[in-house]
Amino acid sequence: MKKKMFSKIMSVLSAMTIGISLTACGSEPTASDSDTVKVGLLHSLTGSMAISEKSVRDAEVLAIEEINSAGGVLGKQIKYVEEDGASEPSTFATKAEKLIDSEKVATIFGCWTSSSRKAVKPIVEDYNALLWYPVQYEGMESSKNIIYTGAAPNQQIVPAIEYLIEQGYTKFFLLGSDYVFPRTANMIINAQLKNAGLEVVGEEYADMDQTDFSAIISKIESAKPEVIINTLNGTGNVSFFKQMSEKNYTSDDYMTMSFSIAEEEVATIGANILQGHLVSWNYYQTTETDKNTAFVDAYKAKYGNDRVTSDPAEAAYDAVYLWKEACEKANSFEVGDVVSAIEKGDISFDAPEGTVTINGENHHLSKPVRIGEVGTDGLIHEIYATEAVEPDPYLTTYDWAVSAGIQPLE
Amino acid sequence: MKQLVKKQGSNICFAVIVILIALMPVLMNSGLISTSMVLFLGKCIAFAVVAIGLDLIWGYTGILSLGHGLYFALGGYCMAMYLKLQETGGKITDFMQIGGLDELPLIWRPFQYLPLTLIMIVAVPAVLAFVIGYFIFKTRVKGVYFSIISQALTWAAYSIFIALSPYTNGNVGITEIKTIFGKIKGESNQGNLFLLFYVALIILVLIYSLAKFLVGRKFGKLLIAIRDGENRTYFSGYKVSNYKTFIYVLSAVFAGIAGAVFVNFNGSITPSQMTISYSITMIIWVAVGGRGTIIGAVIGAFLINLCEYNLSSGSMVEIWQYIIGAVFCITILFFKGGIIGIVKEQIPAFIRRQKNSRTHTEVKQS
Repeated sequence: MKKKMFSKIMSVLSAMTIGISLTACGSEPTASDSDTVKVGLLHSLTGSMAISEKSVRDAEVLAIEEINSAGGVLGKQIKYVEEDGASEPSTFATKAEKLIDSEKVATIFGCWTSSSRKAVKPIVEDYNALLWYPVQYEGMESSKNIIYTGAAPNQQIVPAIEYLIEQGYTKFFLLGSDYVFPRTANMIINAQLKNAGLEVVGEEYADMDQTDFSAIISKIESAKPEVIINTLNGTGNVSFFKQMSEKNYTSDDYMTMSFSIAEEEVATIGANILQGHLVSWNYYQTTETDKNTAFVDAYKAKYGNDRVTSDPAEAAYDAVYLWKEACEKANSFEVGDVVSAIEKGDISFDAPEGTVTINGENHHLSKPVRIGEVGTDGLIHEIYATEAVEPDPYLTTYDWAVSAGIQPLE
Repeated sequence: MKQLVKKQGSNICFAVIVILIALMPVLMNSGLISTSMVLFLGKCIAFAVVAIGLDLIWGYTGILSLGHGLYFALGGYCMAMYLKLQETGGKITDFMQIGGLDELPLIWRPFQYLPLTLIMIVAVPAVLAFVIGYFIFKTRVKGVYFSIISQALTWAAYSIFIALSPYTNGNVGITEIKTIFGKIKGESNQGNLFLLFYVALIILVLIYSLAKFLVGRKFGKLLIAIRDGENRTYFSGYKVSNYKTFIYVLSAVFAGIAGAVFVNFNGSITPSQMTISYSITMIIWVAVGGRGTIIGAVIGAFLINLCEYNLSSGSMVEIWQYIIGAVFCITILFFKGGIIGIVKEQIPAFIRRQKNSRTHTEVKQS
């Protein structure tokens, strides 16, 4: 009797396992019904990247709510489905597949790290889906199924180095975290400086979770650079700048130019430590456009006065509006139609950073470049800006890059 | 009948699970479940294989390894390197070029050939586990000290994989690969998907049978003896360290095979598969399913992963990790035997108590 019960419970248990799996897919959902259209948000809401990706996700939700209250897209309200990438590339891949294939979303806004984008890329390509990637990155990529709303290297790294050269800096030290963005960025910078006849006096990489920078700092001391090009990411920045300031080094001793320090990071590291240092982005909270005043106000009203907006958050906000624009131009939510509308090259949005337009060929945005200086108020203030720069992810329009062979294999 | 269920309960349960999983592609064809679900179940099959290996060393032998992600990732990388070279046609990859390499590095060469790759998937984890296991068990390091060493080694390997980015592509890992049977996405490639899925399922059945075969004989009793009284086993004349090394190597091989299966379904492998937290997740599957039962590991791997898959979205998206954590804590505190323990011991005990108290009151009333 008991044993029969045992086998019964066992089979119930296994049925449950499968049952749970089935509930995920229940009835056949579609991207849009009579009054809503479904989109997916795929960011890390848990794990080490959650702290960064939360702000991006919040900006996307803000844009969706704004669009909804203004009447939606093609007369339909946007409904978003959230998935957690858990800071793990293979989870990103699994969840992207789930959003596309089970949830049948019209598009995905998501990812932050290059590794998560690289994991999702083959999936959106296989399913012919559409991913909006909101973060500046190392370039050397252009997928038919991804729209890159952050900066390509020629919209952040290359102009920043040009600016430093113009300012008369001659001795450069390259410091980065050990992963694909810093490595590729430094490969580009090396070629650019070599072309200008300038000297790289050192190149060092720190582990992603490294907290002790004393060895690197002593290398910097002996190399005596005029400026440090900093591509450290995440917690590395906090440790590096704190340890530099413990030795009483300020921006007068060693100027730094950083590519991964935005408003959020300034708040974590401390404005007193970072003041006077340089950063390069396309947008700052202080950027003076009417659109930006409204964006910052809305962001703070929704998420609290202590929150700051940053370049990735703004790029994510733009992504939602650009998708809306593309859908309306295409008069459809179908990926094929939306992509061919985008490839006509006239999808643009009057964004907080200025007007941005999607380049129909390489799926990146044309956007202005801004060099900023960290102020004592913890915000970043623009000291130099360009007009909108056309994206060039493979740096094919730069002779020095072509002659240095900075091209991906294919 | 009773005898059959008593003796074969877990095997029957396993058969039920296998049949249900085998039906999934059929359900997919009839449109009841999606392709992504089938692919996800494929990953779960891989997780079940590594969980069986962990159950052998932890549940049966009492060795708590917090570093099996390492072997899982090694098997995965071996497979991924072969698949990547299939993509590039044996030429060097883009990350090697960025890293400054001109020709295919020596360690990549064996992965140009499928038979060599299949051997490497087994051999690489086996050799590494043998070297580690031989010295650790010979010097009678055990208990928590072994767990700490296994963690440290995993951490070291993780750092090496990140640092050697021209060879491993750092933390991006190896991406943009197809499967061993070619493309599996899309209508026209459904045959390949089903082939891959059933091959994975057969691997699971074989691994399960092998594990069951081993624990069913004297060898299995010896493993339990080592767990419950290592010194007594020594004094009974058994070379405990040899047995421990063997079972450790075997579980590493299972993990390597699992990693290779996983890569086919996942389409990429990154060093995050060999982190400590990933390795501990694997321990959770075994603990929740039920240690020392084999079937518990399989149930745990499927159940926990399916829960994660469905919980980590929508309204639960910010709290799902707390739920999984709470389930793990409750299991460890109150249900040491996991799900299998509940079904096999706690529920029958509860029924017995109910019955006893009923007869008790009946006696009183009369």
